[in-house]
Amino acid sequence: MSRTISEPTQSESTRGGPPEPARRVLRVGRLLALPVHPRSLVIGSALLVVLLVAAAATLSLGRLGIPLAQIPAALGGQGEATHLFALERLRGPRLVVAAGTGVALGLAGSLFQSVTRNPLGSPDVIGLAAGAGAGASVAALALPGIVPVPLGALAGASLAIVIVYLVTGTGLRDPGRLIIAGIGVAAMATALTHFVVSVMARDQAGVLASYVNGSLSARSWDHAATIWVAVALAVPFVLALAGPITVNEMGDELADSLGAGATTTRTGAVVLSVVLSAAAVSVAGPIAFISLTAPQIARRLSAAPGPNLVLSAVVGALILVCADLAVQQSPVGDGLPVGVFTMALGGVYLGYLLIREWRKGTL
Amino acid sequence: MNGETTPVLSARSLTLGYGGDPVVSDLDMKVDEGEFVVIVGPNGCGKSTLLKALGRVNRPVRGKVLLHGEDVRSQRAKAVARKLALLPQSPLAPEGITVRALAARGRFPHHTLLRQWSPEDEVAIAAALELTGLTDLADTQVGSLSGGQRQRAWVSMVLAQDSPTLLLDEPTTFLDIAHQYDLLELFAELHRQGRTVVAVLHDLAQAARFATRLVMMRDGEIVADGAPAEVVTADRVRTVFGLNCDVMPDPRTRTPLVIPHERAVPEGPREREDSDHARVG
Repeated sequence: MSRTISEPTQSESTRGGPPEPARRVLRVGRLLALPVHPRSLVIGSALLVVLLVAAAATLSLGRLGIPLAQIPAALGGQGEATHLFALERLRGPRLVVAAGTGVALGLAGSLFQSVTRNPLGSPDVIGLAAGAGAGASVAALALPGIVPVPLGALAGASLAIVIVYLVTGTGLRDPGRLIIAGIGVAAMATALTHFVVSVMARDQAGVLASYVNGSLSARSWDHAATIWVAVALAVPFVLALAGPITVNEMGDELADSLGAGATTTRTGAVVLSVVLSAAAVSVAGPIAFISLTAPQIARRLSAAPGPNLVLSAVVGALILVCADLAVQQSPVGDGLPVGVFTMALGGVYLGYLLIREWRKGTL
Repeated sequence: MNGETTPVLSARSLTLGYGGDPVVSDLDMKVDEGEFVVIVGPNGCGKSTLLKALGRVNRPVRGKVLLHGEDVRSQRAKAVARKLALLPQSPLAPEGITVRALAARGRFPHHTLLRQWSPEDEVAIAAALELTGLTDLADTQVGSLSGGQRQRAWVSMVLAQDSPTLLLDEPTTFLDIAHQYDLLELFAELHRQGRTVVAVLHDLAQAARFATRLVMMRDGEIVADGAPAEVVTADRVRTVFGLNCDVMPDPRTRTPLVIPHERAVPEGPREREDSDHARVG
């Protein structure tokens, strides 16, 4: 088996101006041949390095931090008991949950924005995440032990998307209607969450925050397993959809005529996006605006058209890990839910996006 | 098939619609290999709907479309797409895409999950850019092209699809007259190279000039089908389009040319009456 990155057979960039990098292809024998976007590859690798640095900082900074030099030993199960406690019980699971949640939200956002052909068609903007939060709060607080939290989140997210789909009257096509329906659904879902929390968990601000804004404090390895299993199960489907959703961006008719069934593709992407969002919400609450921002940042960085799925996942993980690091080390202290932080940052971006789309006339 | 070849495409008692009253009812039509068929007709006559059904984009309410004698609905979508390409009226160019990347997307029907690239891709893409004259603009963003170039970029995408039959839905709309003819000449060239072409066009003179066969539709039915000179007559243009006209041979190509009659100029007194109304209003 030869593993090569080959130059294209044809190379013509004799023209002036910045020529696009020649198309490269990852080949494994006759089995696999996938075109590779070199710039995405470089940027993705660089972001992974940054992610590792952020992860190391998360483990080592502040009180109970593990000194950098001790981290390898602690990962091997050696070292001081306090370090092992911090790694195994406190920061380790929290970090792994943050990364997995970021990956899930980045993928969910990328899939959804691609098939709605709109940067605002994102699960957190159209009320899907809020619906999942309401479902999770009902499952955890009103029906404890009867309905598993991830299932509650999935039910809430599915209900939210069905309501949005029905009330727009145009399905998921019109971005303006999508956002307005989403605002309504999100408001109702958040009201339900408030109601459930205030009845079932009075006086516990932390509980409310984790279901309304999303929080990563006190995460366990169970949470980590939930989100990474969901991601692992979703990845094959995401990869299978990567080709069809790329073609789908050119319009339903063209997608159909190219043999990429537009309706099937859209349904598949929305279902996957709902599952990934629900999984994320069930372990971390409805953390805002990762789904909205990660795909757009990925696209700006790669300068490649299309959904940029892998890069969106990496950017999502990086944003959430960094946001959680900032929250943990902030002077306000550990109590600040990470969702409040991402909402403050993402809200600015949402405002910018609304104004831009308004000016473009897409709203 | 005993001397007679199977048509590339045939519609069998096709009824098409979008839920309400049918747009096309019980229509039969065929396209033979090597034809350049142009479908014309007034707005809303169902010509685009018919074209989309031929391209497996619209699901017929009743009847079926056969591609080389086999129902398109019973074949795999990608297999159909390797034999038949459709350029819709208003496709969407993804943000930031280059001409080459757009053409490359036409290769989708030739890919599988694990093999999304082959040397044939490079050959087909290079040939498509060459044919549309876009080789030098391959690395330019589609968004920064002129209208005529952008339409050529879309044509290069369906050419990269490398299918022997092309369906074109009003490909010249929104282009100025020079670019319209430029594009039509390109389609004629593709036809000469052996492709079967079916296009929906608005302009009767253009349709008559380039088609080997004209199909004229009204209210979801075919009212005339044959050589351009037989189909385009003054009588028919009046009954189908509601336009009084003369039809004379084009001085260059001898194909029919429609010369509309000027509408009767309103008489003097009525004009004054109108302007009086305007003043009062």
